[in-house]
Parts: sequence; C-alpha cells; structure tokens
Amino acid sequence: MSSPIRRRRDGRYVVRLDPNARVVLADLARQLPEAIASRDPMVRRLFPPAYPAADFAGAEREYRELVDTALVNHHTQALEALVATAQADTLSEEEFNSWLDAIGTLRLVLGTRLDVHEDMEAPDPEDPLAAEYGLFLFLGELQYLMVEVLAEQLPDEGRPEGGL
Amino acid sequence: MRAGPRRRLRGSGVGDRSGWGSRPRATDLPAVGVVPPETAPLADLETILGEDTTLDRPWLVIVWNDPINLMSYVTFVLQKLFGYSKEKATALMLDVHHKGRAVVSSGTRERAELDVFRLHEHGLWATMEQST
Repeated sequence: MSSPIRRRRDGRYVVRLDPNARVVLADLARQLPEAIASRDPMVRRLFPPAYPAADFAGAEREYRELVDTALVNHHTQALEALVATAQADTLSEEEFNSWLDAIGTLRLVLGTRLDVHEDMEAPDPEDPLAAEYGLFLFLGELQYLMVEVLAEQLPDEGRPEGGL
Repeated sequence: MRAGPRRRLRGSGVGDRSGWGSRPRATDLPAVGVVPPETAPLADLETILGEDTTLDRPWLVIVWNDPINLMSYVTFVLQKLFGYSKEKATALMLDVHHKGRAVVSSGTRERAELDVFRLHEHGLWATMEQST
C-alpha cells in the first residue's frame, strides 16, 4: 500500500488520516501550549541546556534568557498551526513543516512522560500508560512518513555550505 | 516559515554578543593593543599569549543520543540545517546513535550558539563546549 503521506506535483502535501486520529492530534496539540507556557516539568525536554557544565552556569543562564521566548513561540506556533489544520486534506509546505514540528514536540513530551528508552517493551495492555504509549508510537510513525517525504526533496549531495 | 523567531533572535543579540561580558573574547586581549602589530610578528604574539590561547580554540556543537528522536529525523535535521550530504548526515547520526554523541559543527562561540539554538528548535539534544 502506498504511503498515506505524499507531496503533490503542485507542492501541496496530502495527508490521509483517520478522522479520529485527526481529533486526537488536535486535542493533544491544543493542550500543550499551556504546559509549555507554565513550564510544566513534563516539557523540560523542549529546553535542553546549551552549556551543561557546572562552571558555565552563567553562560547557560544568559543562553536561556536569550532563546527561551523564541523556543516557546516556535513550538506554540507550530502546535497552533496543527490545531488549525488538523482537519485539512492537503497542507501547504509551511503547514506541513508546522505539523512536523508539532508532532516532534508532542513526541518529546509524551516520551518524557513515559520515560521511554531504547529497546523498551510496550506496556501491558492493562497498564494505564498503554494508551499513551500507543499514541507515542502513532506519532512516531507519522513523523517517520513525513520525514521520508521531506527528505526526498533535499539534495543527497548536500548544499555548498555543507562542505565535504 | 521557521525564520520568524530565528530572525528575531538574531536581531536580539545572538550575532552581537557585545554584552556577553563574563568571559573574555579574543578581541578583548590587551596584548594586541599594547604591542603595535608592526613590531610584533606572529611568533612574538604567540610567546606573549603563551599557552593561554584558549580564546582561539573553536567551539564544538555536540548532538547527544536520546531515546525519543527517530534516526531518520536526526539525519534529516542535520541535512536541512547544515547542508550536509545525506552520506555525511547519516554518518553523524550513526555516531550519535552508537557512540552517544557527535560533533556536528564548530566555529566561533556565536556561531556555535546559533547552531545549538537551531538544533533545540528542532528538538535535538545539543550542547556546546570549547575544544581542548
């Protein structure tokens, strides 16, 4: 079966998704900006340190002051775009990239909450976290397919500034 | 598109770190101003600066392995942000995956910080440190 995600010749992106999946995506994306704005501990993965070493605490503080608002705005705008276009059959390039951002952000937050690690086994179906883990896997599949489509448009040989 | 917050960031100081303050810059070195250039060939400057030329060492941007991001996504981001070939981006991604970390770019502190920020925007676990 062909991928449910493809780029049309006119440059728009087709996303074939179950209506329920669209509702779930929009619901998730709608909840997150508030958690990001209030710096809920579950969003900590969205703000990695630039200077992790203890003797660079001052530099880290300045980095945070410099970029955190931009990071919050960036993620929030992408999540809002996903909410706004969750029901759309086709997406502009900009909207599609917002989806990719928003879905990546959702995965980071869900993954943090689930404490996922490599080679992790799926939780038992009775486990209250099982549904959330299923959601995490679904978002991963979506991200994988979206990246596949976007990567096709990048030159394999790279761009001139990429060097050797 | 994504340029919105990034452009704002550039305008707000990532490229202009005059106020950074706490750590000295190569341009702040008093030795350069004290010794007129015509009487201070490179060898002399090196003697004056001695072993303490830490300011010239490049900053390295490091991406760390994390259990959440997909391998194909990491490769894609490295291609997209740095213009690397698919081959190079894949090799860096595999380094991250197998060795736990990889240096993905290097340069001035300002440049490294901007790269770290762009990687953070894309959800990658990136840090920076001065090369030893």
